[in-house]
Amino acid sequence: MRQLTEQETKTLFEKLATYCGKGIQGLITAGGSERHVFRVQGSRVYYVRESLANLATSVKRDALLSLGTCLGKFTKTGKFRVHITALPIIAPHARYKVWVKSNGEMPFLYGGNVLKAHVGRWSEDCPEHQGVVVLSMNDTPLGFGVSARSTAEARKLDPTGIVTFRQADIGEYLREEDTLFTT
Amino acid sequence: MAPTKPTKGKFSKGKSSSLPKGASKSKSSGSAPSGISKRKAKSLALAKPGGAQKTRSKTVDGKKKKRVYTEKELDIPKLNGIIPAGIAKPKGQKKGKKFVDDPASMMAIMSVVNAEKEGHIESKIMRARQLEEIREAKRKEAEARSEVKKAKFEETKNSLKKKRKSRHSDPARIEDLENEAPEKTAKAKKKRVSFG
Repeated sequence: MRQLTEQETKTLFEKLATYCGKGIQGLITAGGSERHVFRVQGSRVYYVRESLANLATSVKRDALLSLGTCLGKFTKTGKFRVHITALPIIAPHARYKVWVKSNGEMPFLYGGNVLKAHVGRWSEDCPEHQGVVVLSMNDTPLGFGVSARSTAEARKLDPTGIVTFRQADIGEYLREEDTLFTT
Repeated sequence: MAPTKPTKGKFSKGKSSSLPKGASKSKSSGSAPSGISKRKAKSLALAKPGGAQKTRSKTVDGKKKKRVYTEKELDIPKLNGIIPAGIAKPKGQKKGKKFVDDPASMMAIMSVVNAEKEGHIESKIMRARQLEEIREAKRKEAEARSEVKKAKFEETKNSLKKKRKSRHSDPARIEDLENEAPEKTAKAKKKRVSFG
């Protein structure tokens, strides 16, 4: 377990900024509560309370499986892939959101994209291919993805047209149960 | 062995006898020290007249060991080769990874990243708006064109209708038509078609 290098920090923040607005700065300076830090263990990045990270140094690297909240992992090409486990951290600071009606929740949680017919409402002025957080109508975060069309274009779309491409959903906790925390 | 002994003695005798007495004396008393070995004396004797000869012979043969210089000693200018950007490392820099853990530097990176992203998103939105405007303008133009076309069509339709009406309203024509009508009926009566 170690701190992130400059390049790694930049890559991570760039990825998080795809989904989040300026509120993401609150991740670094947690006002009031205890300070949280980013740590790398293997290729995975964790968002951990500092005191816990300090305690974790007493566990040897091979034996340390996980700590804090896993944000995602660095690929071998040096890019960063956000995991569904990062959703609780991303969702409160999300810049663009899509609310899915109850009839669209299950198709999304089974790994489908968000169709126009399933959208209850969406953020205005969302450009194309921008990271969005998918929520249910009662504001429960269900996952995140990338907008397929800008809001203006999506309005003209037919009901079966895709509005958001899925990247991760909370159904993965069951579907990817075996591999989510191991590989 | 009887024959060898006398010969040895003879030879030594002869040698000593062949040398002049004065010379032998001078040699022993002069240059060579008394404790010098026979071999050394011989070499010295050879070196005296042929000191230069010795060196000359070596250079002629090319047997002299050449001194091997290292590259540093030669001071050759380095080849102007290409050094890939990834490989070239500035000297005197610390090895290993440079970690970022303090909030200030993290905030600096974050603000840079955020500014970059904002710029990207802004440009995306602006482009989308421009495209939307262009699309809207095109749509309006097409609508206007279709309106004009429709109006023209209506006009021609109306004009045709008017023509027809005017033809119907003309009294002479009506009479003609009335006259023509019975003829036509008569003709129709005459006409007969039968299928075997």
